[in-house]
Amino acid sequence: MSTATANPPWLPRWPGWSHLPRDSRDVLFLLAVIGWTLAPHFAHLPLWCPLLTVVVIFWRAQLAVANAALPGRWPLIAVLVLAMALTWWSHRTLLGKDAGITMLVLLMVLKTLELRARRDALVVFFLGFFIVLTNFLYSQSMLVAGTMLVSVWGLLTALVLAHMPVGRPPLMRAGALAAKAALLGAPIMLVLFMLFPRMAPLWTVPQDTLAKTGLSGSLRMGGIADLAIDDSVAFRVRFPAGARPPPRALYWRGPVLARFDGVEWNRLDPATSTAARRGAQLRVRGAALDYEMTLEPNRLPLLPLLEATPATDADAPRIDGQRAFMRFDLQWMTERPVTERLRLTARAYLDHQHGPQSDEPSLRNYTELPIGYNPRTLAWAQALRNEPRYAGATPQQLVDAVLLTIRRGFTYTLTPGSYGDDADGSFAIDEFWLDRKQGFCEHFSTAFVVVMRALDVPARLVTGYQGADPDLQDGYLVVRNSHAHAWAEVWLAGRGWIRVDPTAAVAPERVVASRALRLQPGVVASAFDAVSPALMAKLRTLWEQANNRWNQWVLNYSRLQQFDLLQKLGVRSPTWEDLAYLLAGLLSAASAVGAAWAWWDRHRRDPWQRLRSRIERRLAALGVDCAVHDAPRTLAMRVRAQLGATGQDLAAELDALDQQRYGRSAHSRPSPAWWRGFAAAAASATRPR
Amino acid sequence: MIGALLGHPRQRLRAWWQSRHARTDTWTLTQRNIYIVPTRAGFVFAAVLTVMLLAAINYQLNLGYVLTFLLAGAGFVSMHLTHNTLRGLTLHLKPPLPGFAGVPLPLEVVLSSPTRLQYGVGLGFEDADNRSRDVFVDVPVGGQTSAHLAFVPSRRGLHDVPTLHVETRYPFGLFRAWTVWRPSARALAWPAPERPVAPLPAAPAAAGETSQRKPSDNGEFEGVRAYRRGDALKHVVWKKAARTGELVSRDASHAMQRELWLDWQLAQVAGTEPRLARLAAWVLAAEAAGVAHGLRLPGVEIAPGSGSAQQRRSLDALALWS
Repeated sequence: MSTATANPPWLPRWPGWSHLPRDSRDVLFLLAVIGWTLAPHFAHLPLWCPLLTVVVIFWRAQLAVANAALPGRWPLIAVLVLAMALTWWSHRTLLGKDAGITMLVLLMVLKTLELRARRDALVVFFLGFFIVLTNFLYSQSMLVAGTMLVSVWGLLTALVLAHMPVGRPPLMRAGALAAKAALLGAPIMLVLFMLFPRMAPLWTVPQDTLAKTGLSGSLRMGGIADLAIDDSVAFRVRFPAGARPPPRALYWRGPVLARFDGVEWNRLDPATSTAARRGAQLRVRGAALDYEMTLEPNRLPLLPLLEATPATDADAPRIDGQRAFMRFDLQWMTERPVTERLRLTARAYLDHQHGPQSDEPSLRNYTELPIGYNPRTLAWAQALRNEPRYAGATPQQLVDAVLLTIRRGFTYTLTPGSYGDDADGSFAIDEFWLDRKQGFCEHFSTAFVVVMRALDVPARLVTGYQGADPDLQDGYLVVRNSHAHAWAEVWLAGRGWIRVDPTAAVAPERVVASRALRLQPGVVASAFDAVSPALMAKLRTLWEQANNRWNQWVLNYSRLQQFDLLQKLGVRSPTWEDLAYLLAGLLSAASAVGAAWAWWDRHRRDPWQRLRSRIERRLAALGVDCAVHDAPRTLAMRVRAQLGATGQDLAAELDALDQQRYGRSAHSRPSPAWWRGFAAAAASATRPR
Repeated sequence: MIGALLGHPRQRLRAWWQSRHARTDTWTLTQRNIYIVPTRAGFVFAAVLTVMLLAAINYQLNLGYVLTFLLAGAGFVSMHLTHNTLRGLTLHLKPPLPGFAGVPLPLEVVLSSPTRLQYGVGLGFEDADNRSRDVFVDVPVGGQTSAHLAFVPSRRGLHDVPTLHVETRYPFGLFRAWTVWRPSARALAWPAPERPVAPLPAAPAAAGETSQRKPSDNGEFEGVRAYRRGDALKHVVWKKAARTGELVSRDASHAMQRELWLDWQLAQVAGTEPRLARLAAWVLAAEAAGVAHGLRLPGVEIAPGSGSAQQRRSLDALALWS
């Protein structure tokens, strides 16, 4: 009974794939497809949900292999109630995106436990497509798309299998048919995708409040360090040929932080600050610089545009589906968080001035410092001010003096350790400015702003990105999250707000050569880099190029591109209606072609049958009757009997046809040469009198 | 009368619908006689696609659009595939064999497909009385396959084979393509034999000799004659056949000695149908007992004999008597 390799008692014997009963095989296939579809969700589901999923799928697979009965209704209801309770426990709600997806996954998994009839297969099928769709809520990368393509194919194959009721059809045949249907449907998909009018969301959906850190509009010490390790692409930019500015001119402006509570930097509230009422007062000079930007979703209502992009009609960014506006501090915002890729075109003026030209009360917003924080830095600033050589110094001279201090005594490093661990960060800047003197952009900028304010020079902190990758990708300049940067602006009478980048003072290569913030790579990555840095770089470039095309052609395909397409097709000023007309026209044309083909196909017959009716007409003319069931051989006998000697050739031809159709080397269709011989023989045969 | 006519518009519609289809035993499916509509699953599929499209719009998911349109394309193609599954099929109903009323009567439909391998073709009866699960077959390319159906004739006599439908939902079940086929063949239903079987009537003594001679049950036979069509195989003298190469039968008239007339008058039950049922039961009983039997009905007389041909003759007469 027991063998050396006996299974544990709870595991049914595996009979081998080809010996599985058909139903079991189909169930196992469907389970594999379901598992594959659910797997990408596991990363963002509460831990118990993937566990439950795996357990239930294995249980169901075991039942299928053992050909055992499915659990009854009550155990299922019990598991469902448990699952709902766990969902509530995890999400504190049963509604909303995350809870909804958790429930969807659970429903799908539990449905496998009552896969009985074909109706159940259809339910699984429809649920499956929803789950495929929900995967796109988290990522629309090429990898996810490929994974989900396999899922769709698997689900369609399972559906085909459910409609092959006879015997044990091979999986590959069902799979081939599913692929065929999808491929034949691909042109329809393409036309619909290109021409289906894109519209704004019909109603607002709850957006994720979770934003990437760093440029969210508030900053603490260490905030940008999170971005420094994030090597993903933030946006891509294309300039007209030959107009690419040097890296040190590429300042992509993000949130401007002017309110400092001692620990955290925040934006000025436009409703309460007097500065907001004065507006940006942007004055541009020199040549305009057109650029096109593709922004990756950052889940912030933020456009990191090139400094300075004015809000005039000619220069303001044109975006599809979103409205953008400029804050008084020159920062560009969108109405909604950017949750999908945006493509926009805008125009910037590298040479510009902004802010009031003469002192005014609103500038007091930019000299406020909280009392009781960083007292040693304030004292240091006071001491500087009291130095005889700076008596009566202009703000510009003070700026230069502080920059000189930085250049002389500070070190640029991405791993300075953490500041402000004591006293809730109340003395973090003291610690940096006077004790350790090493850090990166955020440390230099915040300390610089605090010092300038202590010197009574209006100053503010600007966050954003600086620079770009040195190499173009498909003609696009790539800016990564590791290019995140913080710099300062000081107000000088007669000039307005002037950009001062203290990081450039201590580490000019960061700004001039635009070296991205980069931490030390891990062991594995450095090993790879050591073996073949060129190969690694090449692979990375290839991958990013493919990714860029994917973004441009698939993910970023929007109304803008649709209208471009229409213009290429000759429509002067495309509208929404033009798209709809074109789509309807194409679909009607396709239907007409289909109907015409079906009409033509109606007359199509088996070639042997067609030949046969031609033979019958010829023989009838010679007075030989044919019955429906007569084989050519029978006809030959009749020809010999009725036509005698004159029919010999004809009879021989008919015998040859018999060989062609039923003989050892039967043809799949009649040879055309045969008909010529037959017609000649029929012409020479004469009707008996 | 008028009420009866107006009262069943659905039946009248059905009758009109069926009468549009000529009766034929060979039915080739073409563009003109195949109907196709979405199934319930098809409508659900459309609803699911709509919701997915809304989700794609609201979350601005371009891959959501791709998925929705891919499925829409595949669904549209599946309509043509479903239609293609039936188109080009040729169905042929083999002449049905007679059977007893009340007993399922087998039908064999031969399906052939000249050009394509066709999966999941289902056959069933349109008629609500004979509604049963469809019989599914796959039709090989260039070959034939048989589908076996059965319908239950309710009473004796000649029956039109009920209207058949041939349908498929292959490949995705989103569409149902079907055709309505009225075969022209008619099936004969014999009267359902009475149960339990009443005792066979006593055979009247034949003139003269038969009353003196006892039936010979000891295996000897009194005479042989040349085999005649319809002789039971058990009456063939195989030994002699093996020697001479010619089939000879025991002479039934000698072997059985008695001629049993199954007479309408002897079946003493009230009503025509019960009488016919009893006579049918007797025919079977007499045949089983190996007794030569003849049948007398008002206006019909079948000379005594035995064997399956005799039984068939008698049952046919009972089925068709009016």
